[in-house]
This record gives sequence, C-alpha cells and structure tokens, in this order.
Amino acid sequence: MVNLEDLKNEAHKLLKEGTVKYIIGYERGTNGLLPIPAFIKNPEDVERLIWDPTCVFNLTRFLVDEKRRKASEKEPDERPVGVIVKGCDSRALVVLLQEKFINRDDVYILGVSCEEAGVLDEKKLAKTLKGKKAKNIEFTKNDNFVVMTEDGKTEISAKEILAERCLECKANFPVIYDILLGEKVKRKSDKPFGSLEKFESLSKEERWTFWKEQLDKCIRCYACRSVCPMCYCDECVADTINFAVTADTTAEEKAQKIKWAEKSPVTSENFVYHLVRAIHLAGRCIDCGECERVCPLDIPLRLLNKKLEKEAKELFDYEVGFDPDQPSLVSSFKDEDPEDFIR
Amino acid sequence: MKRTGVFVCHCGINIAGTVDVKKAAKELSKHKGVVHSEDYVYMCSDPGQNLILDAIKEKKLDNVVIACCSPTLHETTFRNASKSAGLNEFQCEIANIREQCSWVHKDMDKATEKAIKITKSAVEKVRRNESLEPISIPVTRRALVIGGGIAGIQSALDLANTGYEVILVERSPSIGGHMIQLSETFPTLDCSQCILTPKMVEVSKHSNIKLMTSSEIQEISGYVGNFKAKILKKPTYVDADKCTLCDECTKVCPVVVSNEFDLGLTGRRAIYIPFPQAIPATYTLDISACPGLLPIACGKCADVCEPGAIDFDMKPEIIEEEVGAIIVASGFDLYEKEMMGEYGYGKYPDVLDGLQFERLLSASGPTMGKVLRPSDHKEPKEVVFIQCAGSRDPELHCPYCSKICCMYTAKHAMLYKHHVHDGQAYIFYIDIRSGGKGYEEFVQRAVEEDGVLYLRGKVSKIFEEKGKIKVWGVDTLAGKDIEIDADMVVLATAMRPSEGAEELAKKLKIALDKDGFLSEAHPKLRPVESVTSGMFLAGAAQAPKDIPEAVAQASGAAAKAIAILSQERLFHAPTVAKVNVNLCTGCGMCVDVCPYDSLSLKDGKVEVNEVLCEGCGTCSATCLRAAIQIRNLTPLQVSEMIKVSLGG
Ligand SMILES: Cc1cc2nc3c(=O)[nH]c(=O)nc-3n(C[C@H](O)[C@H](O)[C@H](O)COP(=O)(O)OP(=O)(O)OC[C@H]3O[C@@H](n4cnc5c(N)ncnc54)[C@H](O)[C@@H]3O)c2cc1C
Ligand code: SF4
Ligand code: SF4
Ligand code: SF4
Ligand code: SF4
Repeated sequence: MVNLEDLKNEAHKLLKEGTVKYIIGYERGTNGLLPIPAFIKNPEDVERLIWDPTCVFNLTRFLVDEKRRKASEKEPDERPVGVIVKGCDSRALVVLLQEKFINRDDVYILGVSCEEAGVLDEKKLAKTLKGKKAKNIEFTKNDNFVVMTEDGKTEISAKEILAERCLECKANFPVIYDILLGEKVKRKSDKPFGSLEKFESLSKEERWTFWKEQLDKCIRCYACRSVCPMCYCDECVADTINFAVTADTTAEEKAQKIKWAEKSPVTSENFVYHLVRAIHLAGRCIDCGECERVCPLDIPLRLLNKKLEKEAKELFDYEVGFDPDQPSLVSSFKDEDPEDFIR
Repeated sequence: MKRTGVFVCHCGINIAGTVDVKKAAKELSKHKGVVHSEDYVYMCSDPGQNLILDAIKEKKLDNVVIACCSPTLHETTFRNASKSAGLNEFQCEIANIREQCSWVHKDMDKATEKAIKITKSAVEKVRRNESLEPISIPVTRRALVIGGGIAGIQSALDLANTGYEVILVERSPSIGGHMIQLSETFPTLDCSQCILTPKMVEVSKHSNIKLMTSSEIQEISGYVGNFKAKILKKPTYVDADKCTLCDECTKVCPVVVSNEFDLGLTGRRAIYIPFPQAIPATYTLDISACPGLLPIACGKCADVCEPGAIDFDMKPEIIEEEVGAIIVASGFDLYEKEMMGEYGYGKYPDVLDGLQFERLLSASGPTMGKVLRPSDHKEPKEVVFIQCAGSRDPELHCPYCSKICCMYTAKHAMLYKHHVHDGQAYIFYIDIRSGGKGYEEFVQRAVEEDGVLYLRGKVSKIFEEKGKIKVWGVDTLAGKDIEIDADMVVLATAMRPSEGAEELAKKLKIALDKDGFLSEAHPKLRPVESVTSGMFLAGAAQAPKDIPEAVAQASGAAAKAIAILSQERLFHAPTVAKVNVNLCTGCGMCVDVCPYDSLSLKDGKVEVNEVLCEGCGTCSATCLRAAIQIRNLTPLQVSEMIKVSLGG
C-alpha cells in the first residue's frame, strides 16, 4: 500500500533540493468528496498532499498547460515539473513522450501504484451509500475501501464502487517513473474489453439509435476535450473556434481555414465532432476515463474510445502507452497488416 | 472573382455517346465564376487546343478546366496549351469525364449529371490553385545496373558505350546469369557461351564499367537523377589481382560440395572458380563450405597459393555510390524442386529440370556434351519431356505461362536426337506456343526432321520400376492411355522471379505483380519503366522471356536511363507537401509514414525536402492537425470539391 507519509517525504525532498520546480498532486477540496489538483512549490506545503481512492484525475493534462506557459516565458525555469501519476496516467505520459510533445527531461515522475484497488466511481458510490454522504474514503490493507459517513465507518468491497475503467485496467502500477510508491503487484484484471460486450451485441440499427440519442444530448461544452491529455492541439480540426492566429499567421493560412463541423450542437455536427475526436484518439487514448467522467450529460464516451482500442489490438496488435519509442498506430505499417477492407 | 473557362470534349462518341455534352457545357456556364463554356469534338486536336488558346486570350481567363479523358493522357497537352496562352500551367485542371464517367455508365441523364459534378469540382479546385514553377534538380550522370545476366550485361554495355559510367552489381561470383549455363540457343542453335563470353569480356575491360560481383544492394535512397546506393561487397577471400588462375588451391581443398553451376550434377571444392570463363576471372572461397578461415582449421589453399592471393582477413565492405538512374535485371530462377514432387523430381536421379539437361548437352558440361543418365552414366534411349511443369496451373502451381518452355523443350528434344541418333524423344504438352521469328519453323523441324513425338496431354504418374522410369499419361488427341518406359524425364519447370526479388523490390520501392515479377509502370505504354521514376526493368525479372526479348528490353531500359542521364537538370513537380508551422506540434507521425523519406523534424517542427517529396499525400492524411498539406490539393480544396459534388 502506498504510504502517504512516504509520498510527502519524497515530495519534500525534491522541492527542498530544488530538483523540481513544482509538484502537481492532489489535495482536499472544499466542495464534495473529490480532491482538487495541487500545485506545490514550497516544501512545507507538501502536507496538503493526499492519496486515496478519490484521486481520479489524470494530472498529466496539466503538463500540456505547463508546456504552453513555459513557451511564453522569457527566461523559463528549465527544471522539470514533478507529477504524481497512477498506472493509467503514466501511460498518457508515455504517449506524450512518444509524440514528442513533452521531453522526458521536463518531467519528474512520482508513480503511485493502485495495487489491487483503483479509484472510485462517484456515481457507483452514491448508489451504494443510498443517499448518505461520504466524508472521507481510504484504502484498506486488503484493497477494499473504508468509507466514512455520518453513520460512521463502513468497509465496502472495492469491486462494487471501482471506476469502470479500473476494472479493465491494463497497468495498475506506473509503466514509467522516477520514483515508485507502492508495490508492483500484477492484478488479475477482468475482461479487458468487458464494457463493450453489451454494446457489441446490439444490431447496427440499435447502435445507430443508441448513438443518435446519446450524441443528440451533447451541448458541445468541450469539457471532454479540455480534460483529455491527448487533446493538446492548439487548433482542433473538429472545430475552429480557437484557430491559432499568431503574429505570423498569413492571410493565406487564414483563407485555408476550413469548418469541418459547425459550432451548433445539432446531431450531424455533433457526430462530426465526436467521430473525428474518436478517430484522432485511436491508438492514443489510454482509457483514463476522464472524458466520460466530466461529461455533464453522461454521454458514454469511453465506449467509443474503447472500441477503437479493441480494434487496434485485434487488427494491428497495437497497445498504446507502454513504449515511448514505438511508432504510433496511424504512422506504423507492417507487411502483415490486414488489408481485406480494400476491395 | 477569378474567371474560369470550361471546355467539354466529346472524344468522338467516347464521351458524347453517354454524356449530353451540349447540356453539360450549358449547365457549367451557369456555375459561379465560369465566364466561358463550350464543347468540341476533339479538344486534344489542334483546332481544339486553339479554342482554348483563343478563349484564354479573348475572355481574359484566369484558369481553365478541360473535361475530357484521364489526366494521365492529356494533362500535359492542355497544360502546355494554357502555358502558351500565358497562363501558369497549374491554372489548368482536367476533369476526367471519360474513364470515370462515360465509359462506366449507360444512363445518359445520370451520366450527364455526374459529368457536370466532376467538372464543377475541378472548377472549385482550379480556382484555389497556386501558380507554381517546377523544382529544378541536378542529375548525377552515372547508372547502376543490378544483376549481371544477359539483360544486365546488355544494359551496362549500352550505357557504357554511350559514355556513361555504370556500376554493375552481381550477387554471384561471376556475371553471365543463366545464359552462360545454356548449351545451344533456339531458334538458331548457336552456342550460348560462344555468343555471351565476348560480351562478358567487354564488360570486364570497359573503362566505363565498374563491376562488383559477390555484391548485393543494401539500401537505396534518393530520387530520380540522384540516387544513393549502399552496396555490400562480400569477401571472396581471394585477391583477384594476385590470383594467377593456377588452380593449385582446388587440388588441395578437402571439401567437396554440390556445384551450383552444374545444378548439382557435379561437385566443386570450397575454393573454386564458377566456370572457366568466369568474369572476373578469379577464384572464390565459399565460406559456408570452408571448415573455417583459421589456418589451424585447414588453410591448405593458402599454403599452396604461390602468389599469396588468399587472404583470410578479407572483410565485408559497404560501398556507397551515387547514380542518376537504376536498371533492375535480377532475372529468374526455376520453380523449386520441392514443389514438383508429383513428377518424382528430386526423388529419382534421372528426372531432371531443363537447366540440368542444358548442362548435359553442353560441351563443357559434366559429361563433356554426351547425354548420359546421372544414375548409371548410360545413354538414355527413351526420353520423356514434360512441358508446363508448374506453369499454367493456378490450383497447385504458377498460374502464368512461362513462355520459353515450348521452345527450349523443342530444342532439347532436337539436340538430344543430334546426340543419340537411335533414341526416341516424347514431349507431353498442353499446346505449343511458338510465336516469334523462326520459332514455328523450329518446332516443325523438331517434328519433321528429328522425329520428336508430340503427345498432347498430361502425365498422371511417374514412378521407378526395374531401372526404368514409368511414365503414365493420356494422349487426349488419340483418346488413349499412354505408358512409356523412359530412361530419363526432363521437366520444363516454370520460370519464377529470382530468389530475393521481393526483398530487392522493397529496398528499391518498386512494385511486384501478382506473380512476384517486377511490375512495369504500364503494361503497354511503359513496359520498361518501373512505377518509381528513374528505375527501369530489364530481362526475365519483369516477366518470363527468352534471350532476344531480354536483350531488347535491356537496350530499351538503357535508352530510358540515357534519356535521364543526358540531361543537365531534371524538373520535379512542385505539387509537394507544405507545413503550417503554427499547427505542427512536431509529433513526427508524418515523418514515420512518408514513403520517400522527405520529412524530418527540426526544432520541434517538421520540414519538407521538396526534391524528395512526390506529393503522395500520405503525410497529409496522417497528420491529426491538418498541419501538412499538398500544394494544390489542400484540405480546403478537397472539402470544396466534395461540397460541390454533393450538390452544395
Ligand atoms: C532451360 C532453359 C533453356 C533456355 N534456353 C533458351 C534458348 O535456347 N534461347 C533463348 O533465347 N532463351 C533461352 N532461355 C531463357 C534465357 O535463359 C533467359 O531469357 C535469360 O537468361 C534471361 O536473362 P536475364 O539477364 O534476364 O536473367 P538471368 O539470366 O537470370 O540473370 C540474372 C542475374 O542477376 C543476378 N541477380 C539476381 N538477383 C540479384 C540481386 N538481388 N542482386 C544482384 N544480382 C542479382 C543473378 O545472379 C543473375 O546473374 C532458356 C531458359 C531455360 C531455363
Ligand atoms: S463533455 Fe459531454 S457535453 Fe461536453 S462536449 Fe463532451 S460529450 Fe459533449
Ligand atoms: S479520450 Fe478520454 S479516456 Fe482517453 S485519454 Fe482522453 S480523457 Fe482519457
Ligand atoms: S504529423 Fe502533423 S503535427 Fe505531427 S509532425 Fe507532422 S505535420 Fe507536425
Ligand atoms: S506528400 Fe508527404 S508523405 Fe508524400 S512524399 Fe511528400 S512529404 Fe512524404
């Protein structure tokens, strides 16, 4: 089990010795059960750090912002940023390294192992607690969760309230790190694509109706895109609201700008947005589940990405986020790649 | 608003038969920006081209669209015409309404509607085209020829005699290819070695030819006019300059292995000369047969070599050469023995393939030109020849016709009769293909003068019984079963692309056809060009062929190469990739996919080497950020083309 004190000590040391410029971690928020991201600069502030089953966020997303910030600084601090990552988050980091978006030297990776547990699904927890409010929640030695409510402590089997993607987890300890906290225990994972089973059993028509209903709900708040560590492009081709006009953007470049999808949240445009996004995440999404979690309309976005992950595995034997040196899915070609779809 | 002119061609009735060209021209004249639209019976004719020229001048057109046949045919014609009227050539686009419309449809209304849409989308494209100038590149005026069979030899000599330097790379220790193994050649029966060796000597003495034997291509990079070749020169452990051909080494070498030159009918030593007239004239130490290079392992050859030509320390070398054009003449191999089990090939010593029989017939062969059975050295009195062994058999073997077997089998039967006057030759055949100058007469001579018995039908079984090879078959013309007690069986096995052709094609980035032969750029109009510009094909590497055809193609390939080498500069299409650095995140996916290695990352952004880029668009399709586009085929153009095609 990860000992929080160890984590704090390591963080303290890194900051004290000036190895990192700051550390991105989790701290208790003031509203609700979920923590908020912590950006810790002073060694004393490491006391704010927490580590428990509510630490759901993928903090690597903040590296994207860090890169932007650094690029705009005149005399940037060249030291790496410390970041706390779970297994899934570490795979996101691998993709960012693979795509050369960040340099290995710019991050100091504090890996935490989920061991036999994982992080919770707020909605599942609420259901289990039947209206009671959880104040606090901790890991136990036997990888269950101890939940503190107004009625006192109850131990809940992790399986019951674990996030869906944790049940299908491919890396329950970080695949890349500078320091590792917790044990490298290999977990007996369930069916890796279990959540797809129900969906795949539907007919084509049923699937169409399903997605039409789901995507019709989308209000194009772009929370899914904002939270995704892979959605780091300055200009998203799926919509051009934030077209990067810089001082040297030429008139020709502006003239070449295309609107692939309209901004209005109507079915056809929503489909373009989500399908383009799904395709652009093929071989890149590491299933941190953040997009689905943040969607205010509960659109099951994981299903889309998971389906493509499965296709990549089955057709091209491609697994994302384990090796920063492997060529990416769309840019690799093997002679034995299937091509029976070419007619 | 740009002023566009549209010209709809009838192509006789090729287009006008299915597309209402008048209606199309009228409809197109209403499209936004189109200020001129007309139709004409043959746009590519002189009067047709003049219509375009006049309209450009009179109506002050900014760009034109010609709705006609495929751009592979007349794009150049019309771009040149536009140029002579003062337009940039990229202000002319072709709308293909023939191959992609009139030829594939029947319903006139629908075809007309589609022709209009195709043309409108070309209008939308041309309106957004940039005016570009071709990219000019210098030419390295040397050539590389791969494969030293008759085809490679001929190409090399033609190039060298024109004054260009040639590097001839042959993977075996001597040039000559399969032709040097043949006895006499159809249809004139001249001695193969006698006509080939003078050419081989010419190669070895030619000051413009750099011959590299025991060498293989390791890597080819670059582009037409400027290729870079990495060639692996394998050690032969014998210094050709010192070797005096005294043959002392083979006398002491204790190792005997099967001799590939005689196709296993004889043996050779681990140190050997492939055949007496080998070029380069020197010995080679076969490292796979030698017990070890260390003097303690054996070293007998080095002990007896007076001039000290044997050098156990010779190392493989990588030699880099720059050339402007490449000719691939990697030849053929015979269909694998293992595949012909049904004919007892490889099982019975007296069942031979065509090349083995050539060696038996050859005056310099294992039997000094006497036809003797390998098993007991007796003269065979009944010989059965089986044609199409492995050819024309899509179920089990090769689907294609190997083309030369009808002829060489007739030759074999004829030569056999010249050697064994009282013998009988039988030929099982499916049909006889003897198209070629003097070929039919040659086959007739075999039947009439030499009494060769042609049996139309297939052989069903071959087995050994009491020292004879029993051949069971059917004569389908006479409709009866046939049983022959043969002393020898000769199979005309199929011709296959030479071993390693696939690998070589990959290194050169040229295509293979469905049978594994090197693919020509166009089966009729570009038969000696590969799909990659600057690379040409010669000989049996491209398809089964005989010597005259191989030589003709080799000279054709040389002429094509000369057409490149004779120019000081080449021009390259400027429709290449272009990067929008603001959007590029430097992920490098495009770098990985570019089949021409034209991209590289520099300071976190990608850069295009415009000379290497072929404008294939793979990068553009890969980039998630639309940060790399092809000039004159930008996503905006494509999107507008799609929109107008969908009626928007
Ligand atoms: C049994 C038989 C009898 C025949 N009789 C006649 C006849 O009577 N008359 C006639 O006109 N034709 C005859 N032919 C056909 C004739 O042999 C061919 O047409 C001719 O040899 C083709 O020449 P080529 O140079 O294309 O190929 P090849 O002779 O096969 O030469 C190819 C050369 O390339 C080399 N090579 C291959 N791959 C590589 C590589 N990757 N790198 C470097 N070098 C490489 C090979 O070692 C070889 O030296 C006969 C063929 C057979 C099988
Ligand atoms: S978070 Fe949900 S509602 Fe918002 S854009 Fe994404 S899918 Fe649509
Ligand atoms: S698409 Fe969703 S699950 Fe995948 S990496 Fe992005 S946020 Fe995580
Ligand atoms: S794929 Fe696109 S973003 Fe990536 S390096 Fe190439 S141009 Fe840049
Ligand atoms: S278009 Fe792109 S992929 Fe194709 S050759 Fe040019 S740079 Fe390479």
